[in-house]
Amino acid sequence: MDLVNPWLDSVEVRRMAERLLAPVQEQAVPAQDAGFGEQFVGYEPVHVPIPRPAAVVLPPEPQPEAVVEPQTEVRGPFLDRVGRLRDWLHFHFQAVEVFLLDREGAVIFDESRHGKLHFLARSLAVASRRPGGMAGNVHVKVGAAATLEVIPVDTPYGCLVLGAVVPAPLDLAAITTVMDALRSVASPPH
Amino acid sequence: MDGWEAWRSILKKSLPLLQAEATVAADFLNGVTSFVISSQKGGVGKTTLSINLAHAFARAGVRTLLVDADPQGSVGLSLTRQSRLLTGFYDFLADPGISLDRLIVPTRLETFSLVASGQASDYEASGGIGGSYLARVRAFLRAVSSRGFDLCIIDTAAGLFGVTGDVIASSDAVLIPQQAEPLGIRSVPKMLEGLNRLRVMNPRLMVLGVVLTMVQQDLAESLEAGQALRQLLPPDLVFRTAVPRDGLFVRASARGLPVGVLEEGAGAQAVFDALRVEIEAKFESPGRRAQIHG
Repeated sequence: MDLVNPWLDSVEVRRMAERLLAPVQEQAVPAQDAGFGEQFVGYEPVHVPIPRPAAVVLPPEPQPEAVVEPQTEVRGPFLDRVGRLRDWLHFHFQAVEVFLLDREGAVIFDESRHGKLHFLARSLAVASRRPGGMAGNVHVKVGAAATLEVIPVDTPYGCLVLGAVVPAPLDLAAITTVMDALRSVASPPH
Repeated sequence: MDGWEAWRSILKKSLPLLQAEATVAADFLNGVTSFVISSQKGGVGKTTLSINLAHAFARAGVRTLLVDADPQGSVGLSLTRQSRLLTGFYDFLADPGISLDRLIVPTRLETFSLVASGQASDYEASGGIGGSYLARVRAFLRAVSSRGFDLCIIDTAAGLFGVTGDVIASSDAVLIPQQAEPLGIRSVPKMLEGLNRLRVMNPRLMVLGVVLTMVQQDLAESLEAGQALRQLLPPDLVFRTAVPRDGLFVRASARGLPVGVLEEGAGAQAVFDALRVEIEAKFESPGRRAQIHG
């Protein structure tokens, strides 16, 4: 009695096995073959507007204090600049446990000393990465009034991931401000 | 003639041929070469193969690091009494503050070192998002390379997902132990499918091939299953050397030793030496070498 073959499609198995022995071809599809003309150079990044609810008349809400950009003219060493960014995050967003991971996931600045927060930030940053694109910002609730914000930012030193625990998730405007601030801190002097 | 004598006589015939194909161990490859020992199915002898193969390379003068990436910590449990207290591979993944030097456990053989599974291995138990650990696994392999090892053998948990997937997607090669029994052979399509998927993530991944394990010479079903596998797969994908099932492996792990260290272990050691020579030959073949070095 044949103990194996009746359970398998031997032709398919052979085909899969032979594929394992062949070099993997990295496919580069020319623009024309993909149905585009010679003028096609790729897509522009598109900023998708966030849908907002229809305007309704409401009594004016108390406005939050205007967020002031961190002072970056006085440059100094990189870690000093990150320290000033941390102070700015504390002041404007009540952020605590601020840390910064480099593109390898290694900790380059840390006031949290919680390996699990780093691990969580690293996992979230990787999981939020879109194929061929940057990782997006994500947040996760880590306590009753504590949210871990994970903000990956593309900088001249590669992708840095900023982690900070804030009382409530940051809105899009705040995230954009923080990203700009980190990008500025991580830019080499002109 | 006992079982080991039979194996030894088979090997005696094939060893000169294999040695002619291979260059010596000292000339192994430039920089560290990492290969993963992985299988779709559990209980196929991955840890036994990992320990004894690593020992065979180390005996041949190759500076070898054996890494336990199986959260069950079987390598550590087999070779060190304090394995549950050691900082290990999963701690490195969880905490970038831990350096490789803290993980390395030397052995009595100068060329043979270990990294245990570690304390943080519970992370894997809850399952992981594929790719979550990729950056850290690659950082680990870079650290191993800069530490001067020639070879890094990584024993993994069964299945090709989670951390195991990330380890395969970061390594140079993969070796697949396959138990010589019908049920094991029937799981081969799933394993091939998984490896083809991982090669899309890691195009330089070299599939060294399948090693038949736990072969029982006195059991017709075991021999038939082995034969069926050899007919099913291309010859290049199945190692000529096979690992027999033997009580000697149980005795060796009970004493916390590679089987070749036992007084009566010379026959078993010859099996792993033959396997080492076959692996070296595969790494040295020009096509495969081009594949691994891009």
